[in-house]
Amino acid sequence: MRITCPYCGPRNLEEFTYRGDATVKRPDSLDESATEAWVDYVYLRKNPAGLHKEFWQHTAGCHAWLEVTRDTTTHEIVAVELASKGR
Amino acid sequence: MSDLQSLSALDGVSAAGRFGNPDGNAGVTLTERASLGLATLEVRKDQAVALAERVQAAYGAALPRGPISANGTGVRFIGIAPGQWFAVSETLPNEALADDLATKLHGLASVADHSSGRAVMRLEGPAVREVLAKGLAVDIDSRVFLDGAAAVTSIGHMGVLVWRDGEAFDLAVFRSFASSFYGWLRASAAEFGIDVVT
Repeated sequence: MRITCPYCGPRNLEEFTYRGDATVKRPDSLDESATEAWVDYVYLRKNPAGLHKEFWQHTAGCHAWLEVTRDTTTHEIVAVELASKGR
Repeated sequence: MSDLQSLSALDGVSAAGRFGNPDGNAGVTLTERASLGLATLEVRKDQAVALAERVQAAYGAALPRGPISANGTGVRFIGIAPGQWFAVSETLPNEALADDLATKLHGLASVADHSSGRAVMRLEGPAVREVLAKGLAVDIDSRVFLDGAAAVTSIGHMGVLVWRDGEAFDLAVFRSFASSFYGWLRASAAEFGIDVVT
């Protein structure tokens, strides 16, 4: 598997480190009423067959965090962008 | 306080001479670029435009936005990551480069001295691409890896920054890896013959 880093270009998988599910959003609230949202954020993950968004870090290259859209059934990568989105 | 002395990273590791295939001209020549000024700079938040202008004014170089180098007056700026550059200088040796950058780019970029942290080896010759291809999983064909192009990657699990300077390739490795890296290089170049210049 290869990932095309937006900065470095196409690189071998061994240069990257998986950094988790990119679809979960950290709850804004630290309030007790947000407990369920925090359980979702910390523990619960979907396991989709098909397109999924994941964080990968180019640890042996430019160190940038990437948001990768990957098909979990074929490993085809359909999109890669900087997780910072240019911010 | 006594002055710090700059020592070769390959001292006691490599001897000058011809190794590997003894026939004809050597396929590659290896030279250590010792005592270079080496530093990294990283742009401060929201200062990208101001930093580019300051670098242009102070060093006459247009900071690259990708993995390629820009040559300024005495300093080469190599893109290594979004908002980060590796600076190399012969005219501002050792820590003089980081001192100069930190002064001139004050407030716009964070500067770190790498001059004693990396060993830089220059590889050139007719077989240079064939030798590097044994460990470098990056396309270095001259049509895509243009003069000045750079890559942060690894060779034999050792982190390496490689950049092209004309027909030569410079390889920067963490200094403590210099001996292991030299071992890889000498073995990989053996079939072509390697001239080591110290």
